[in-house]
Amino acid sequence: MADISLQTYTLVITGAPYSSQAPQTALDFARAAVTAGHRIDRVFLYGDGVHVASALICPPSDEPHWPRLWSEFLAGNQIPAVACIASALRRGLIDSGEQQRYELSAHNIRAPFEIAGLGEWVEAGTCSKVLYFHSGA
Amino acid sequence: MGGSRYLQQSTLFSQRGLIMTMLIVIDQAPYGSWSGREGLDMAFSLAAFDQSCALLFSGAGVNWLRTGQQPDGLGQKSVEQNLGAAAIFGVEALYADAPACQRYGLADGAIIAGVTLIAPDRAFMAGFEKVTFAG
Repeated sequence: MADISLQTYTLVITGAPYSSQAPQTALDFARAAVTAGHRIDRVFLYGDGVHVASALICPPSDEPHWPRLWSEFLAGNQIPAVACIASALRRGLIDSGEQQRYELSAHNIRAPFEIAGLGEWVEAGTCSKVLYFHSGA
Repeated sequence: MGGSRYLQQSTLFSQRGLIMTMLIVIDQAPYGSWSGREGLDMAFSLAAFDQSCALLFSGAGVNWLRTGQQPDGLGQKSVEQNLGAAAIFGVEALYADAPACQRYGLADGAIIAGVTLIAPDRAFMAGFEKVTFAG
């Protein structure tokens, strides 16, 4: 019973917060997995999921703040998280490097999220179990 | 729906002599959603990193494969052209859900070249190590 094989997971979130439950379900899974001793090697935001990395989301005070809850979980467990650069740029999720490159007025990526290419996702697929959290639409 | 193009999974893979790693499934019609384009990007990325992958168009997604698409009025790029680049980028196969093609009125002549019609059943899916949807 004690010898449950421990897994390494990569989570991919493709649903946006406040329009889908995907970020919430993924966070619930992540918390349960870490509590059970499994490892989450990274979180990858793709498609509409990149909105989880927005530093500008301001939900009403009586609603869960999914981007903040995700940030706190990632920082607390030292889990790297990456938003796909193509998905992010299309949707206005910008880090300081891309702000300079495109000469934009601001950047809005919430720490500890970073922007990177799909290569991160490809690499994850070769070394861990990859779970997808979609919008369900 | 040409019977000759309707390959059995076992035949397909014994001929190829390999099992492909990743199947990306696109099940949304083109133009109304970006998830299909982002699914295509996933396939192109896998191919760019020398990972074996293929695309399956199922449900309303088979409309990606229609010839003569004219999206100019929408101000969008033709997905037909994007798909034309799949082989060049190294995507190993384009599969279409044969029953869905029939449902959407896609006869043989209405489907772009290089597409293999299959029944997306358990046996077909078993030929892939991983199957994923774009969104």
